Amino acid sequence: MNKLLNKITLSTLLIISQTVQADDDIFNESLEDLLSTETELKADIGSRNGATNILESRSPIDVITHQQIQTSNLTSLTDILRYFVAGFNAPETSVADGSDHIRTFTLRGMAPDQILVLLNGKRVHTSALLHVNGTIGRGSSNVDLDTIIPSSIEKIEILRDGAAAQYGSDAIAGVINIILKGANNKNIFAIHSGKRVKGDGENVVADSFITIPLRYDGFVNLSLQMKSQKPTNRAGEDKRLKNPRVTTHVGIPDSQNFLATLNTEIAQFNNLLIYSNATLNYRDSKASAFFRPSDHSEQTSLLYPDGFLPLLDAKILDYAFTLGVNGEFGDEIFWDLSNVYGYNRINYYVTNSMNYSLGASSPTSFYNGSLSFAQNTTNLDLKKDYNQLKIAGGLEYRYESYQIEAGDKASYIDGGSQGFPGYSEESDIDKDRYSYALYLDTTYLFHEGLSLEGAIRYENYSDFGSTTNLKLASDYKILKNILLRTSISTGFRAPSLAQSNYSNIATFSGVRSGTFQPYAPISQELGAKALKAEKSQHFTIGTVYKLTSSTTITIDYFLTDVNDKIILSDPQTLTQEQQLKYNVEKISCFTNAVDTRTYGIDIKLNKNFIFQNSNALDVTFWYNYNKNRILNNITKENSFEQIDRIENGQPKHNIKLLSKYTTQKITYTLNLNAFSDYAQVKENHRYWFKKQLITDVDISYKARKDIILSLGSNNIFNSMPNRWDGLSTQYYGYDSIKPYSRYSPFGYSGAYYYLNLSIEF
Amino acid sequence: MKTILFLSLFFTTIYAQHSESSLKILIIGKVAKYITWQESHHKNFIITVLKNRDNNIFDTTYHNRKIKHKPVIIKYIDDIKKLTKTDILYISSLNSKDLSKILQYIEGKNIFTVSDIRGFAEKGGMMQIYFASQRVKLKINLDVTQQEHFKIKSSLLRIANVLRGDSTNE
Repeated sequence: MNKLLNKITLSTLLIISQTVQADDDIFNESLEDLLSTETELKADIGSRNGATNILESRSPIDVITHQQIQTSNLTSLTDILRYFVAGFNAPETSVADGSDHIRTFTLRGMAPDQILVLLNGKRVHTSALLHVNGTIGRGSSNVDLDTIIPSSIEKIEILRDGAAAQYGSDAIAGVINIILKGANNKNIFAIHSGKRVKGDGENVVADSFITIPLRYDGFVNLSLQMKSQKPTNRAGEDKRLKNPRVTTHVGIPDSQNFLATLNTEIAQFNNLLIYSNATLNYRDSKASAFFRPSDHSEQTSLLYPDGFLPLLDAKILDYAFTLGVNGEFGDEIFWDLSNVYGYNRINYYVTNSMNYSLGASSPTSFYNGSLSFAQNTTNLDLKKDYNQLKIAGGLEYRYESYQIEAGDKASYIDGGSQGFPGYSEESDIDKDRYSYALYLDTTYLFHEGLSLEGAIRYENYSDFGSTTNLKLASDYKILKNILLRTSISTGFRAPSLAQSNYSNIATFSGVRSGTFQPYAPISQELGAKALKAEKSQHFTIGTVYKLTSSTTITIDYFLTDVNDKIILSDPQTLTQEQQLKYNVEKISCFTNAVDTRTYGIDIKLNKNFIFQNSNALDVTFWYNYNKNRILNNITKENSFEQIDRIENGQPKHNIKLLSKYTTQKITYTLNLNAFSDYAQVKENHRYWFKKQLITDVDISYKARKDIILSLGSNNIFNSMPNRWDGLSTQYYGYDSIKPYSRYSPFGYSGAYYYLNLSIEF
Repeated sequence: MKTILFLSLFFTTIYAQHSESSLKILIIGKVAKYITWQESHHKNFIITVLKNRDNNIFDTTYHNRKIKHKPVIIKYIDDIKKLTKTDILYISSLNSKDLSKILQYIEGKNIFTVSDIRGFAEKGGMMQIYFASQRVKLKINLDVTQQEHFKIKSSLLRIANVLRGDSTNE
């Protein structure tokens, strides 16, 4: 016991002496040393009252810096978030129609549309795609994160708290704020090439960042990226064939991407700042449906004597443009007026297919229609500081429109094109809505170490009405190095235009089933109601403990209740009479059906060492636990798969251990990512998939000050998810076409090896 | 003993992240040793702070400190017309609207001006402090410093971004 006490006493003295020494030393440091000293990490998210040090924020915030992005050598924003953020999940799905082409993501196991994404503090539009297959995030639309080029990003701020009272709809699981690079950066050219352990999935990315300085620290920054991703295939054999063989494509789709990101600020002498940013992404992505074996019928055999594999080609155009101006008037009142327009369109084409009803005269290629979504947001923000009181507020007007355009007639009549039937004239729709909001965010600093923030936001939507949300947050330094923080808030998520207006009819295995709008006659006959907003309540409590100035521990507990969460109902079989009347056998429709509770904890430790020879070691440990439960009674028999997807479809535990050792010439990176088991329901039975450990390594060599050559691997030990345990059907099973779960948090394509060359100039 | 050695490694404070405000205020004093004023005005080294919110950091940073072997005096003013003799004038970002008037007022007074106002160096200020990639950076307008008869050591110019005429050199 005495020994233990001695150890504790000695260690405590050591900590105190070193902390005191650190405070005193800084005045005696040379100017050169001060200029190379790392400053605090600040974030603009979490409060409208200005940037705060993330270790002194009232709500938990994490920041991924551009140095971290660069050294990760990842070329997709979704992968970057999955790499750095515990509790951020982004599975790679396959044979799931549009969901193969626009990756979904979740935070804390909550739905993709319960995460608000901002670009330079302004709302980013979601994709037009509604995930309607049985993937993680089914029934939601999410922002397509892969439309933003990583090299254009200065930092990514992640607020792990509800913030609808500050930012409006969707800020339930958290807010991701992507900040683009500003002034004083260098031009970069990079080329990246890699492939999977099985020799497929070749990925080639050419990336450039060009900056032009303007007067008064203004700038024009332009990033361009060309990306060619070849497919991977991990399909099992097709047992439907006499001589089983691999017939279907199960893996990463074949995609070609062009991206551009522009960010510019034009500063005037009188402090007026005109700013603008734009993103552009064109993606041509191809994936397959399930193979159609030959049915030996005369008509089919003429076209495809050995069967055929329908290919779905999604051509996606996504762009956004922001224009704003800010300045100061009167007695230090800061104003900002901005407009953001965002647009996403997906054109679907099916090739190597046919419409059975048209027999041998069927086309083999189809235009299957398109989905598009546009969003225009106008904001006027005002901000004023009165000594200890900070006040920020504003007005927002938002207009949204959603369209479904019908495809070729041959793509949808009588069962439509195999693999993916086109959108019919019945689905063809053009809907819009508008909303306006008033918001106020105030912070009172009682003294250094104690502050209270209150936010209120009133919002009125033309389709479902109004909502008012509140937030209270506080932080209190109980000791110089220990901060307590807590927040309580309400929030909401407006039903998306897609959820309210999407419809489509598909035929699979001879069954004609459809998704219908809640207001469609068939839905009304079955008792559907117009969608209303999801409502949420949030509570967080946590602590920041600065053990030393280089060692920080944060612990945050969170609880989020969501009422009336919108889900896409399971297909409901119609009566014979209804089937005849509506020419469909099963229907699904969006409905406010579920109350959920999400709770958990985040524990994060950051430690930085700088050794005598200036070598540095950065270590981050991050543990996330989240549990999602459904609170209300919904018919388990009908919705077992849906309930289980929410409750068990994603890992509840995630541990990340990120480490980077930097010498003058070489940077070594070793990252461990462990996640717990998860389950997927098939044939009304739950199948578990085991926990996994993913290991990433990277060695980057600085050939010159401005040339970096990297060699690395993601998932170097080729960790693969286990196959379905005991399931063996035609399509899904350990020995079937899809041997792995589509919920797998790291996909099933295996180890990825790459080379990366980066030149700064 | 092994445990203590491990803990001491874990808790060693060699590396630190500092607040932007404290670094900025420290640097204001640090650059003085690289600058030669035309004439020494007084026994103390005076830094005047114009309309600022972080005044307590100035007090704590420079309490009982010396710059150029002189005790440091910090003066706070909220109007440029109240300016008395000073070596350095720190113009906080709250003054951005009135910058041209402030610079005009001190012209020819051999006062070294420092600020974190955006575009300060290009707008006629002498040294701009700004932050990029979690590091503090300096931008010096050499023409203005020469007009005001300051001599700046080349070692400072080497680590600052220097504006000279229409050109900018890192």
